[in-house]
Amino acid sequence: MSRKVVVTGMGAITGLGHGLDTNWARLARGDGAIRPVEPRLWKDEPDFVMEGVAAWLHPDDVAAAMPQRDLRRLGRLDPFSQFALIAADEAVVQAGLDHHPTLANRTAVVIGCGSNGNATLDRAYERLYVDRAVRAHPQTVPSSMISGPASHIAMMLGVHGPTFVLSSACASSSHALGEAMHMIRSGRVDVAIAGGTEACISLGPWSAWRSLGVLAPDRCRPFSVDRKGMVLGEGAAILVLESEEHARARGAPILGELAGYGATSDAGQITAPQQDTIEQAIRLALADAGVDAGEPMLISAHGTGTPLNDKCEAAALQSVFGADIARSTVIATKSAHGHLIGASGALQFALGLKALAAKTAPPVLNHIATDPDCALPLALGAVPIDHGLLLSNSFAFGGLNAVLVGRCA
Amino acid sequence: MAITREAVLRIIAEESGQDVAKLVPGTKLQDLDISSIDLVSAIFTIEDKLDVTIAPEDVSPDATIDDLVDMVMARSQA
Repeated sequence: MSRKVVVTGMGAITGLGHGLDTNWARLARGDGAIRPVEPRLWKDEPDFVMEGVAAWLHPDDVAAAMPQRDLRRLGRLDPFSQFALIAADEAVVQAGLDHHPTLANRTAVVIGCGSNGNATLDRAYERLYVDRAVRAHPQTVPSSMISGPASHIAMMLGVHGPTFVLSSACASSSHALGEAMHMIRSGRVDVAIAGGTEACISLGPWSAWRSLGVLAPDRCRPFSVDRKGMVLGEGAAILVLESEEHARARGAPILGELAGYGATSDAGQITAPQQDTIEQAIRLALADAGVDAGEPMLISAHGTGTPLNDKCEAAALQSVFGADIARSTVIATKSAHGHLIGASGALQFALGLKALAAKTAPPVLNHIATDPDCALPLALGAVPIDHGLLLSNSFAFGGLNAVLVGRCA
Repeated sequence: MAITREAVLRIIAEESGQDVAKLVPGTKLQDLDISSIDLVSAIFTIEDKLDVTIAPEDVSPDATIDDLVDMVMARSQA
C-alpha cells in the first residue's frame, strides 16, 4: 500500500518570530533575524560571555508564545521543548486536528533534533562546576533528554501512537519528515506530527560551535564571494502530514504534498560534504516523487554559507540538473533565519511550500557577488515564480544527507 | 530568602503549578495533584533557596503539607 501524503498544518517559531505566516512575511520582504547575541544565561565573567551573532529568541517572547493549554504534567521545559510545543500547537490547530479521535491511536510524532536540552545541561553543569553544588536539579534528565520534545508533544495532544525523536545533526528534521511520510504511505498511521526543534544558543554548544571555526562573525552569505561561514539560529518547525484520503474525508485544508524523500550517507569524512552521495540523495528524492530533473522547480538549498558546503552543494545541483537548472530558482533561507541545525530541514520545507503558494521566491540575503564555483540561479530579490515543485536539501555533519520533494496544493 | 511558612508554600505551589490556596495544611502530599518528580523538585528548590538540607527520603508519602513545612522550619533553626 502506498498512499499520497499531504500537508494539512504547519507551525514555526524562529528568530523571525512566532507563527509560520510571520516567518514567511519577514522572509519574503528580505527581513533577516540575525543580530548580536546577549550573554543571557551565564554570569557576567569575561570567559563566560557569548559573543557574536545569531538568530535567537528572547525567553520572554517564547513564554508569550506558549500554547494556552494545561501543561503542568509536562514538567520543567527546556527551550527546545518549548519551541516544539509552540510549533506543534500551531500546526495541529491549523490542521483542525485538535481533539480529533485520530490523534489518539492513528498518529505518530516524529521530531528531528541534532543535540538536546542544552540550556538545561548548561545550568546543571554551572551548578556542579562553578557553584560547587552537590546535586544537579532533579528535572535535569527529563528536561534535557533528546526525546523530550516528542514526549511533550504527545502529552500535550494525547497521542498514543509511535512517538520518538530522530537525530541526524543538521538533517534531522528532513529525515523526520521523510520517515514519517513512509509511515503514512505504508498505512502504519494516518497522521504524523513531524518536524524538528533545536535550541543550541547557550554557552556550551555556542563555545563548541565557535571552536569548529565554522561560524561567520557577521552575516550568513550563502553562495556569495567572501562568505565566512554559518550563523546559528534556534526554534522549531513542525508539520502535520496526513494521508490524502484521511485529509479529504474530513475536509482538511491541503497546503501541499510531501511527494519524495531521498537519503544517503557519505561514509566519508566527519565534517566535509561529499558530492557524489549528495547527488544520489537528490536523485533518489526526485525519483521517489516521480519527478524528472529537467522540470523547473524551487530549490531550497542547504546553503549554510560555509565555503566548502556551498561549493559542494552547487556542484551537486549543477551535476544533477545540468543546463536545466537555469529554469529553476534557488533560495537559501538560512541567510535570514540562521541555521537551526536539527530544525532547519522542516523549516525550509514549510517555507518552501509557502513560497510555492505565494508564487514568490524569497531573497537570498547578504549576497555580495557570485562565486564562480557557485553559479546558481539564485533569487537575489523577491522573485516571482510559477513553480509547482519544491526540492529541499539537508546535508549534515557525519555525511548524513536527506532531501525532500514537495508539490504545491 | 527568609524562611517563612508562606515562602515554603510558595515554592511548592510554583514547582507543582498549583494554586497556593489549594495547599491546605492537613492535606497529605500524596493527595495533592503533584507528580513525584514535581515533589522532588519542590524539595530541591526549598533546599536551594532556603538553605536547608532535606533528602527526598526524609519526606514520607503520608506526610502532610504541615509536616513538610514544620520539617523545613525546624531544620532551618537547627
